[in-house]
Amino acid sequence: MNVEERIRVEPDGSITAFSGKIEFGQGIRTAFAQLVANELDLPVDRVRVVLGDTEQVPFDFGTFGSHSVAQEAPALRRAAAFARRTLIERAAARLGLPATRLQTRDGTIGDGDGKRVSYADLVREAPLAGAIPDDEPLLPPERWRHLGQPLSRVEARDIVTGRARYTADVRLDGLARGAIARPPTRGARAAAVDDRAARAMPGVIAVVHDGDVVGVVAERDEQARAAADALEIDWEIPKRADAPTQIVPMREDTGIDAALASAALTRTATYTLPSISSASIGPSAAVVDVRPDGASVYAGTHRPFGLRDAVAGRVGLPQDRVRVMPQMSSGTYGRSSAPDVGVEAAVLSKHAHRPVLLQWSRAEEFAYSPSRPEAVLEVTAGLGADGRIVAWRYDEHTNVHTAAGPDPRVAAMTSGRNAVPPYDIPSAHVVLHIEPTPLRTANFRSLAAAENVFAIESFMDELAHASGQDAVAFRLRHVSDPRLRRVMERVADVSRYGEKLAERRGRGFACTLYHGTYVAQVAEVDVSPSGAVRVLRVWCVVDPGLVVNPDGVRNQVEGGIQQSASWTLLEELRHREGRVATTSWDAYPIATFRDAPESITVLVEGDASAPSTGVGEPGAVPTSAAIANAVFAACGARLRDVPLTRERVRKGQPAS
Amino acid sequence: MRLVLTINGATYEVDAPPGASLLSVLRDDLGLTGTRFGCGTGQCGSCFVIADGRAVASCLMPARQAAEREITTIEGLAHGDTLHPVQEAFIAEDAMQCGYCTSGMVISAAALLARDSAPDDAAIRDALAGNLCRCGVYGRAIRAVKRAADRGRGRGAAPAMNSSGVEGAKPAMNG
Repeated sequence: MNVEERIRVEPDGSITAFSGKIEFGQGIRTAFAQLVANELDLPVDRVRVVLGDTEQVPFDFGTFGSHSVAQEAPALRRAAAFARRTLIERAAARLGLPATRLQTRDGTIGDGDGKRVSYADLVREAPLAGAIPDDEPLLPPERWRHLGQPLSRVEARDIVTGRARYTADVRLDGLARGAIARPPTRGARAAAVDDRAARAMPGVIAVVHDGDVVGVVAERDEQARAAADALEIDWEIPKRADAPTQIVPMREDTGIDAALASAALTRTATYTLPSISSASIGPSAAVVDVRPDGASVYAGTHRPFGLRDAVAGRVGLPQDRVRVMPQMSSGTYGRSSAPDVGVEAAVLSKHAHRPVLLQWSRAEEFAYSPSRPEAVLEVTAGLGADGRIVAWRYDEHTNVHTAAGPDPRVAAMTSGRNAVPPYDIPSAHVVLHIEPTPLRTANFRSLAAAENVFAIESFMDELAHASGQDAVAFRLRHVSDPRLRRVMERVADVSRYGEKLAERRGRGFACTLYHGTYVAQVAEVDVSPSGAVRVLRVWCVVDPGLVVNPDGVRNQVEGGIQQSASWTLLEELRHREGRVATTSWDAYPIATFRDAPESITVLVEGDASAPSTGVGEPGAVPTSAAIANAVFAACGARLRDVPLTRERVRKGQPAS
Repeated sequence: MRLVLTINGATYEVDAPPGASLLSVLRDDLGLTGTRFGCGTGQCGSCFVIADGRAVASCLMPARQAAEREITTIEGLAHGDTLHPVQEAFIAEDAMQCGYCTSGMVISAAALLARDSAPDDAAIRDALAGNLCRCGVYGRAIRAVKRAADRGRGRGAAPAMNSSGVEGAKPAMNG
């Protein structure tokens, strides 16, 4: 990687940094600006970060897996450090002083109070260039001025004043509006389209029928939608051809049958989780201008280069003639890994010969978006006479967890994510069964980890209870990783786990090691006699290695917990034969201000000597089990099916 | 349909289709895109504006009805470079992630504080219950509204901002 692909010094001495990652509210633009400003010894507001513009940034596969700070931050930091070293060398030549005597200060270089030269002057004749060494030395901690400091996000002022521009706010000259006519079931093809009525409607510019895209372009949004509704379409519904179930063994120790047979205690349980919607507040949107010689695409996307290639392929342009310019986006938590809305807008624009803004309706967003798959987790374990686990058998039945089709190369790290527990178990079988589904599926926050950790951490509680052990102490007997032990012990301590509570209140514990990030949580709930669960408080200790912005980490983890509490108590996407019945917030309630816990306490205790790991997903992972375990502690109902509805809790309570 | 609208203290004359919502006129005729489209059925709060002092869903309000009212949108809360206390407090608490729902939340909070200068926790939750946030910043937003209320009553220090709206040092908020 060359420095000019990553860092540019502008004529006014400010810095522009380039990355292929995308901001969805995780705070990466802020973290990247902090890192670059730190190495270049500048105020953070002197750094502008360009994200995802395919003509300006180096190739990036996509923004997922909580990788942005983990993988991208070191590259940007090295680039900025290399830029600083290059600037100092140039300054040394310019000032006639040895580089060792020179220091940076707010965008200038000099020797104390004497001669100084600005970054801008040092690049006036030759911009920064050259290959960045992998071992480029970084500023030592005693010289950090931004790294590790809490900072509100750099977009905050634009967001609170309404100036922030999201995709649907892009206004190009001649911008028209699109609307798509949706088939009754997924995969249906329009055999015939009668558009006579639609064409005569006000504002209609074009009716488009191009392969699987049937829609209308009109001057106004309301006009496009009304005309799309007026299309008479004969849909051909193809017979569904299910792919075979894919079986992926993830761990297959020998001797498991014998270990189970000789165990002093065995337990078996099955856990289920429904399909859930990403439920973005802003429905998917794209603005696309297709011209004979190229296309401009404005969108929120997890994969700008993937979207570029998808649009190019669909409208018949070379990839290098399509430019994707990501805009601010409503959080989509993985859903916009799929290029759907951008490709649809491109097809409409191509036929209408106008730039087109397409924004899905709320009903389309629920019914036609990809969703998180269902999961059924079957687990059996045996304990020895000493109360330690001797054998563990785990079968995960779920669907593909990405926007692409089944791919055995990524199955274990997507659908199988966190299926192998972080515990020391002498003999284990962990098998992944990826079954077909009529639903569209996509990457969703933490992939299958939220499902697997719900099952594993609920079951660990069940095993502890069955063998008369404390739930935290029982887990600790199976953990040798000191960083995991530390977050577990810390959260038990700060939450005073095990403390006696009022009647019908309970606390539940759960933990995980997700992609290098250590998380342990305790949830406290109140359960009404009718079965209503209220999450009162949540404590979380997280160790994501070196922390760039502690408040940014807290915000992400708090949000993950809040969102996961909503999945756990409220959410289920109802569908039949591939048809999603949910079309509005009425039918898919998510947590509101009234449901928010009284407090979510997040302690960020990163090991600064370890590399940074992600925080976008891990906070959400243990929450479901922490809540379910708290419900058990509060009222004795062991809930193995998510969501933990009032009726399930009521039925699950032991008769008193 | 010709309409005269009063928005953020200014008068606009627009020619909108009959039945057009206030949201569509704001976004598509007046270029005031800070008010967001979320659901079109008044269930998410993304499109809230203040109409005669109350936070309402602009997606459900016909533009012709808006012509009879004083409308304030997110763009009209600040006075020049001086932000509304709720806006300042949302920045100080970083009470946002993706920010898509933030306009609506700030509007609801500003309408609340205009009628109740010292809302308690329950009043804040009730006033903002119509604003859905998927990123999960409810806790921070509640703190931000309290902070803005404290400031409005002259309690608590104003956050120190630099030119990018970024706060310097900030106390630990949790634990």
